[in-house]
Amino acid sequence: MFEANRWVAALMVSPVLILLFAIIGIPSVFVIWLSLTETTFGTDPVFVGLDNYRQIFGDRIFWRATLNTFIVVNVVVYAELILALIIAVALNFRFIGKGLVFSILIAPYAVSEVSAVVMWKFAFEPGIGVFNVLLKQAFGIDFNWTRNPMQGLGLISLVSIWIHLPFTLIILYSAIATVPEDLKAAARVEGANEWQVFRHVTLRVIAPAILIALMFRYIFAMRLFSEAWLLTEGGPARMTEVLGIYLYRTAFRYFDFGPAAATGIAMQILSLLVASYYLYRLYKGMRNNV
Amino acid sequence: MFERYLILGVRSIILALAVIWSAFPIFMVVSSSFKTPIDIFAFPPKFLAFTPTLENYRMLFRAWPQFVEGLWNSLIVTVGATVLTAVVSLAAGYAYSRFKSRWLTLSAFSMIFLRMLPPVVVTIPLFPVVNQFRLNDTHALLILLYAAFFVSLSTWILKTFIDQIPRELEEAAEVEGATLFQRLTRIILPLSVHGMVAACVFVVVFAWNEYMFALIFTSSEAKTAPLVLAEITGTLEGVQWGVLFAAASVQLAPILVFVLIVQKYIVIGLTAGAVKG
Repeated sequence: MFEANRWVAALMVSPVLILLFAIIGIPSVFVIWLSLTETTFGTDPVFVGLDNYRQIFGDRIFWRATLNTFIVVNVVVYAELILALIIAVALNFRFIGKGLVFSILIAPYAVSEVSAVVMWKFAFEPGIGVFNVLLKQAFGIDFNWTRNPMQGLGLISLVSIWIHLPFTLIILYSAIATVPEDLKAAARVEGANEWQVFRHVTLRVIAPAILIALMFRYIFAMRLFSEAWLLTEGGPARMTEVLGIYLYRTAFRYFDFGPAAATGIAMQILSLLVASYYLYRLYKGMRNNV
Repeated sequence: MFERYLILGVRSIILALAVIWSAFPIFMVVSSSFKTPIDIFAFPPKFLAFTPTLENYRMLFRAWPQFVEGLWNSLIVTVGATVLTAVVSLAAGYAYSRFKSRWLTLSAFSMIFLRMLPPVVVTIPLFPVVNQFRLNDTHALLILLYAAFFVSLSTWILKTFIDQIPRELEEAAEVEGATLFQRLTRIILPLSVHGMVAACVFVVVFAWNEYMFALIFTSSEAKTAPLVLAEITGTLEGVQWGVLFAAASVQLAPILVFVLIVQKYIVIGLTAGAVKG
């Protein structure tokens, strides 16, 4: 009964595939054509060759946005990985109230970017936010992230880490919880100390999960838009723009769809490069399963 | 013995810090929504020793009727996107679990491939199309967008759950004359309820909180709560912080309760959907 149903299978997967290709697949390919044309509101696209690419590659702000994206993505992804690893290891034992602690740790997953920005803006509001006052009084640091681009990027990274830490934590904790106790016990019998057990047993068992978490976070972190837009709108003087903001501003503030599309292509290529190894492994695995 | 206590101590300190890190921002905003303007910026901060007031909430609902409409729009969009994702993903998840063919494998791979592409990019080509079909500023458009970016994960989660339902159950039902639709609704659906929840939680949270698509594609009729919240943030002047905190708390409360209730399924879904494969 599960063999001769080719048409039934096609019918059952078609709604998902139609949705995916109509909203993501076809538009993502169509962007290639748009990136080779000049077009704005209400006009038909005119073919201009590689002009849009020349334009964005000649734009200092585009390179600044690329550099900012690179910095923020790496800071966010590795900070999350290290924090999540430490917390996951600390969490991996039995104690009363563990369920409650776990609930609190994943609570930021429920918080929208907008609400998270409200929270952290309040804490770091120049002059009056509690952390700003503390930084000033304790270390004499004037943390004015609305004026200082590096501090602006720092706050964007902080908010981003706060929102997304639960994702990495869940994946790593699930993996750590599956490390067999007798494997660790065996290592201890051999004379390994706790650090060696962690390095040579735990870390080795969870390595695939770390890779997956890293890859997904790289891909999702590159999409960064909302936290950055809501905190600084790319300012001051477009110094804290990331690629998502550069694209949005070009497309929906300046209605210059050609260069925006070219930026989109750059983002797609970067995402697929990061995903390529995972996709390759997945494809091989799937082919062997048929 | 000493080493054991040392390790326990370090664990406790790490977990205490982690709990403060996660909870403190949420706690500050929710508690401040019940404070008077003077208490909000008191230094050192008043954590619990303040007289609670509902004035901020009263002001919110008086000054920002759009916020209530925004909540309503968010609810419609969230329910719509979730139902759409659930229905189409169940069908596809079933097909990927029960049928095998070269063509199906290729389509499953393309699903995951498309999931890797950045969402902001599709807004450029979709923008003129959306205007042409007069879908701009409609619930339907947001529902389609949100569902599109989550059907892949949901299908994958449901497939792994349906994989665990024995085929013999269905074979027996077919001998009794059950159609495919009956098998789906009477056998698969009841036995994959957990998978269904795990497949839906992510789109619920995403749709309720989403900002970027709503910013680009809505202007008034379908404007969602996060967008109105961002507008309130934009009009900040001195005493308005209390109103903002009230709005943020109202937007946050339902989804936070939801996430805490279904947290088990978030863990199951992430491990089934992301790590496998």
